[in-house]
Amino acid sequence: MNRRLIAASAALASLALLVTGCGADTEAPTDTETTAGGTTAAETTPAGDTGSTEPKGELTLAGWSLNTTPEFQTLADGFNATNPEYTVTVSEYQAGNDYDTQMITDLAAGTAPDLYIMKNLVNFYTYAAGEQLVDVSDVAGTLDNESVSAYELDGATYAIPYRQDAWFLYYNIDLFEQAGVEVPDGSWTWDDYAAAATELSEKLEGDTKGAYTHSWQSVIQGFANAQSEGADVLSGEYDHLKPYYERALQMQADGAMEAYGTVTTNSLSYQSQFGTQKAAMLPMGSWYIATLVAQQASGEAEDFAWGIAPAPQFDESTAGTDNTPVTFGDPTGIGINPAIEDEKLDTAKAFLSYVASEEGAKALAGIGITPSVMSPEVTDLFFQLDGIAEDELSRWTFENRTVMPENSVSQHTAEINTLLGELHSAVLSDSEGIDAAIENAENRAKNEILNR
Amino acid sequence: MTENLVLKRIGKVLVYILLVAAALGILLPFYWMVMSSIKTNNEVFTVPIKWWPDIPQWQHYVEIFAKSDMTTWLKNTLLLSVVVTFMQVLTGSFAAYGFSKVRFPGRDVLFLAYIGTIAVPWQSYMIPQFRLLSDMGLANTLWSIIALQAFGAFGVFLMKQFFETIPEDLSEAARLDGLSEYGIYARIMMPLSVPAIASLTLLTFVTTWNDYLGPLIYLRNPDLWTIQLGLRTFVSQYDADYALIMTGAVLSTLPIAIIFLLGQRYFIEGIASTGLKG
Amino acid sequence: MLTTVDTSRPPTRRRGALKLHNTLQGWSFILPNFIGFGILTLVPVIMLFYYSLTEWNAFGKATFVGLENFSRLLGDSSFWTALYNTGYYSVFHIPLTLAAALGLALLLNTGIKGRGFFRTAAFFPYITSIVAIAVVWNQIFSPEYGPINQALRFFGIADLPGWTASAQWSMPAVIIVGVWREMGYYMLLLLAGLQTIPAQLYEAAKVDGASAWQRFRNVTIPGLRPTLFFVTVMLTIGSLKVFDLILVMTNGGPGNSTLVLSQFIYRKGFEENQFGYASSSAVVLFFICLSITLLQYFWNRRQEK
Repeated sequence: MNRRLIAASAALASLALLVTGCGADTEAPTDTETTAGGTTAAETTPAGDTGSTEPKGELTLAGWSLNTTPEFQTLADGFNATNPEYTVTVSEYQAGNDYDTQMITDLAAGTAPDLYIMKNLVNFYTYAAGEQLVDVSDVAGTLDNESVSAYELDGATYAIPYRQDAWFLYYNIDLFEQAGVEVPDGSWTWDDYAAAATELSEKLEGDTKGAYTHSWQSVIQGFANAQSEGADVLSGEYDHLKPYYERALQMQADGAMEAYGTVTTNSLSYQSQFGTQKAAMLPMGSWYIATLVAQQASGEAEDFAWGIAPAPQFDESTAGTDNTPVTFGDPTGIGINPAIEDEKLDTAKAFLSYVASEEGAKALAGIGITPSVMSPEVTDLFFQLDGIAEDELSRWTFENRTVMPENSVSQHTAEINTLLGELHSAVLSDSEGIDAAIENAENRAKNEILNR
Repeated sequence: MTENLVLKRIGKVLVYILLVAAALGILLPFYWMVMSSIKTNNEVFTVPIKWWPDIPQWQHYVEIFAKSDMTTWLKNTLLLSVVVTFMQVLTGSFAAYGFSKVRFPGRDVLFLAYIGTIAVPWQSYMIPQFRLLSDMGLANTLWSIIALQAFGAFGVFLMKQFFETIPEDLSEAARLDGLSEYGIYARIMMPLSVPAIASLTLLTFVTTWNDYLGPLIYLRNPDLWTIQLGLRTFVSQYDADYALIMTGAVLSTLPIAIIFLLGQRYFIEGIASTGLKG
Repeated sequence: MLTTVDTSRPPTRRRGALKLHNTLQGWSFILPNFIGFGILTLVPVIMLFYYSLTEWNAFGKATFVGLENFSRLLGDSSFWTALYNTGYYSVFHIPLTLAAALGLALLLNTGIKGRGFFRTAAFFPYITSIVAIAVVWNQIFSPEYGPINQALRFFGIADLPGWTASAQWSMPAVIIVGVWREMGYYMLLLLAGLQTIPAQLYEAAKVDGASAWQRFRNVTIPGLRPTLFFVTVMLTIGSLKVFDLILVMTNGGPGNSTLVLSQFIYRKGFEENQFGYASSSAVVLFFICLSITLLQYFWNRRQEK
């Protein structure tokens, strides 16, 4: 036994030495500065154009989950087709919060790519205030793009948006017909929505619910903050949240939607709840359009007719197709790493102009992304996706909206967000009453965050 | 007398029933993981929980190799786990001998520093450490993970505690026989610590195999990814391919389960053959 | 040749030389590990102590602010909640895991049939994907549809716990899963420790007519002491540092009912970009761990005597 063990560990050791040896070989070329993304279609410059000059090198752009998120490569390809001095290549990062964890460490150590994405405005503040973004006010000045203003800090612009998601109301036309309830006509307030959800739950068979509210705090607070008169989370006043939470609690109690506890403990996904017809309505961001289309085509989602309607409104003053409904969504932007080599800066800025141009917008719309620039042509391209809703209201909804940024740009945003996230889960899980929760949040916001 | 025997037997059967029930309960999440790997994405999370897929999607086990770089990830993970484990056991046990059997000033303070670092959450010194390794040119290479994991305090602490259970008389006798301290380490301590070495090997292997945060911070190049990192590419910003994630999770658990099943007898038999009689 | 350690008192001149010799020899053992450990772990940890006295956003220069971060911690109710929750988790998680692991180790160290399978099963939670664990346990805890509450309902209990969906029950739920997940890990270490106890000691105790309990108290426990010390220290530090389990099970909620210190540190650092402040809370956690470990160390030393 003993001898066998020694022999075994010796074998293990030699194996280890062998593999470390191999490892050294394979690692050598990656030791260089470039955080090269492995899958690079951009390497191949468009052939045929004999007049084109050879690119001088690469500009790296951070992206995530490249297999399932084609937008980065689409932008890079579209830009590279114009024969810039430097070709844009995409480096792969992780999705979600991990993206920022990786980016913060990379920036801190000076190993970050030349161009990187601002997933939302909370993180934008971190990067801009940390002086990790080049001032791109000159690029912003040349653009006719509303979302650009979101990236201002102290009078300068630090990132350029290429994408502007917005929240809509998705509804299942088949289920509405089954229940004999009128489909949304674009004029709904939240009370109309709640009433319809309750009615649908009663009339639909089995466990099918009228609506599905995902567990994210945005689903309730995003609308409350965008639609309530004078609401500002940085003021430390949160009374405006009350009607929104009371309505949600009432809907839970009436069985008009799955309870928050059921959603979190069963890790329910909105794609599954809406896509497999467990719920007739779903307030969700515009990114879900492309997903739903793809899932219906692959059979992962069931086959049913659906449409999008404007998000329900606070009151009638903004509701209806003769108004512009108010909804929310943070832009997604791209910024330049100040560590970029000087000679590459102009190309990087040209890339930013491209991503926020109508040309870039068309490329994005073609793959189901809601671009930051809107035009009838962009909408046409978007609605050419196979299997997308074809009714008038869906098109109208896509085009006509006032999108309020979900987050404000401030040093307190992240902390306030955490605080309100705690309020969200405490209230919806019935662990704390809405009044007590609001008072608690207001005290903590003022004492520990805003007046620090 | 016979009644007593019968009672004893019933008791034994009861213990077994209890154990089997507990084992099944313990394995339930693993069962769910396997089942989810053959469900469609929208079947994974449902109310109420679905214990069996409508139509088993076995093709996921083929798809995952086609859709992703699973082979590269497995290769990297295996390489890292083997190298890290080997170095941790070697340097850890060597240092442990110094801490447990050699007396010198400052020893206990140094040892306390070792334990102390275990008490600091990694995410709090991740950034200074990353800067350091990246200045050394190690970031974005597999060496970074080896450097990070191979010298951990865990192995030193574990081996030191086990060396202390070995009676001092054995080393004394060996010293009188003219064996050097290095000889005692190699010929007496190591063979007598087989169960501890087996545990340390397994635990280090599993930790490195399942590590997510280390590769997340240090490995950017897709050619260098480990399984845990690679599987996250099935997660995108607003949704995730849960079925494939679970397929990958099952695939990544299997090697460890097999190693454990084959290796667990060392924990019990290791000592039986080496014996403490010397 | 290396000197053999003489039991007789050496003359003073030689004592100094011996001390130097021992020191060199001790370091020769420690050095291969220390080169890596010192540079890659100890240095960054020491830097962390400096950062705890600064205001730092991870990118630029850290501004020295003295003890400001620590005084801010005193007035931060999230910090106190996290501290309380960490204590709550640890106070239950440590003894329960230790008892379960020891019980399992003793049971699976006997000649019981199929012990290989049972040992593997007990260790399985530790190697199962933590995401799968969180999902399945959360479903088991589901207040409306979960099997636990269905069973409780069957026994006629009206006031059902909300488990991970309520602020009141979320921590007990997380503790249960924590014990379940880690008992196999510590069982493994204890099994290895049990192996080092010579079988002759048990036989001798049996011959002396000692009962099973007496054998446990007088043979098993003393023989297992170094391992037990290791296990309690690791378990204590592990509990005080608990992070990923909570992150995937409840993400600190509902409300902040399961927010623990490690998560607080991560939030302050990577989500709110206050790395100096995050460092100061890490330092507090360090000192808590260290003082408990020292207590355990001295207690262990006293027991050994």
